[in-house]
Amino acid sequence: MRAYAAILLLALVAACIPVAVWTLAYFVAPKFPNPTKATNYECGITSPGEAREKFHVRYYLIAVMFLVFDVESVFLFPFAVQFKELALFGIIEIGIFLFLLLFGYFYIWKKGALNWE
Amino acid sequence: MTAMTLTQSFVTALLQIVVLALFVFVAVPVIVFAERKVIGYVQLRLGYTRIAGGLHGVTGGLNRLMWWMGKLPFFSILRGFPSFIADGIKLFTKEDIVPEKADWWVFHFAPAISVVAAFTVLGIVSFSPAPLWTWPAAVPIVGGLPFAGVISDVNVGLLMLVGVASVGVYGIVLGGWASNSKYPLLGGLRSAAQIVSYEVPLTFSLLVPVVLSGTLNFTQMSQYLSGAPIQTSAGPAQMPALAILPLFIGFFIYLTCGFAETNRVPFDLPEAETELVAGFHTEYTGMKFGLFYLAEYANMIIVAAVAAAFFLGGHHFLPFGLQRFIPPSVPVVGGASFGWFLLWMALILFSYLWVRATLPRYRYDQLMHVGWKWLIPLSLANLCLAALVRYFA
Repeated sequence: MRAYAAILLLALVAACIPVAVWTLAYFVAPKFPNPTKATNYECGITSPGEAREKFHVRYYLIAVMFLVFDVESVFLFPFAVQFKELALFGIIEIGIFLFLLLFGYFYIWKKGALNWE
Repeated sequence: MTAMTLTQSFVTALLQIVVLALFVFVAVPVIVFAERKVIGYVQLRLGYTRIAGGLHGVTGGLNRLMWWMGKLPFFSILRGFPSFIADGIKLFTKEDIVPEKADWWVFHFAPAISVVAAFTVLGIVSFSPAPLWTWPAAVPIVGGLPFAGVISDVNVGLLMLVGVASVGVYGIVLGGWASNSKYPLLGGLRSAAQIVSYEVPLTFSLLVPVVLSGTLNFTQMSQYLSGAPIQTSAGPAQMPALAILPLFIGFFIYLTCGFAETNRVPFDLPEAETELVAGFHTEYTGMKFGLFYLAEYANMIIVAAVAAAFFLGGHHFLPFGLQRFIPPSVPVVGGASFGWFLLWMALILFSYLWVRATLPRYRYDQLMHVGWKWLIPLSLANLCLAALVRYFA
């Protein structure tokens, strides 16, 4: 447990870095607020409305595909570690698993989900 | 070694963390300096040798210092290095502007997430197999205890590393979203899509040494790559000669994905300045921008460290198991040490700069094409090759 406690401690100490930086910058940095300065940077043009509008669906598509592959790679970790122990059984098991995944992969490829146009 | 008390292990860990943070804060200016110098020399320029500000004030002092460095035989090549002091002062003394439309809390916390994720990952990296030094007995609490080269050498090191490192993408995407401005939002989205796309082949290529050795631990992996037999929870393992093939392919896939993960050239699309100004950190000023910058360089250090530990020599002189041809009795090159690890890391970091000086940027559709249609099948095939080598060897 102490091994993980050390990492938690590291995360806490690392969290102090931004806090220290904010505090120091708060006292050191100059402050000349100005309504024009607080507007968004859009190459000098007055920004019309919000930036958080609809964006292209392909970003969601990438996110969903990533989720599938990431979960898959998490499943591959125990297989990889215990590969020698599982022997032939493990190879067949992971073969079926990978086959199903690759089937889906080529399906989305053929569907054109991997094209970025 | 006798068991440590709770106070002792707490103080030991705290000291290690402080040293690690100092290491990063020293390494980042060195990498920034090396970056500008190496690219300068590649393009037949001198790189920077002075800073703006003439001979007055702090910048003047630094300029005078650099002028004197130019006069000295060895230091002349390091001319320009002291300007990191000026960089630091400038980052701190710039006005901290938060755009009116921005989400105040998220805007502030986004760079913090990136920094915390990057530093936390560094705690798992094993820099040295042996303790770096032993505290003298005179030191209170930790006197006589070793100072290990790793904060926490956990068994599931690689899994934890992949998990924690991917938290860093939140910093980028939240930074882009919180700015509520069009360029940062687009930059953040692009960056997130790029990072998640390349994370898949990155993980697959990292699984190659795991399949071969059956361990996720940094120290054991380094031992395995030196050709020595190791004892893992999944039984004994020793590197077969054929393992060099999947490791070699995996190393190049890993390095490519590592470049994309850290948003570096040739995959620095989120910062494609002709299209997106400065990408997700367009609206960031002062030290909040500095935190993103720090996180990016810390991530480069992580990529280099993982490449060193899982593909190259790790703590040894020769990579890919070639170390077995050098008997351990040979001084310096025969043993495992912190120095070799630093050398391998430096080589990977140099390759970052080399690539940046050489290659142009990819187009975004090319980036996605390479990631999804080439690297994923290639890394999977390579993983199968590694599995075959492990099964039959």
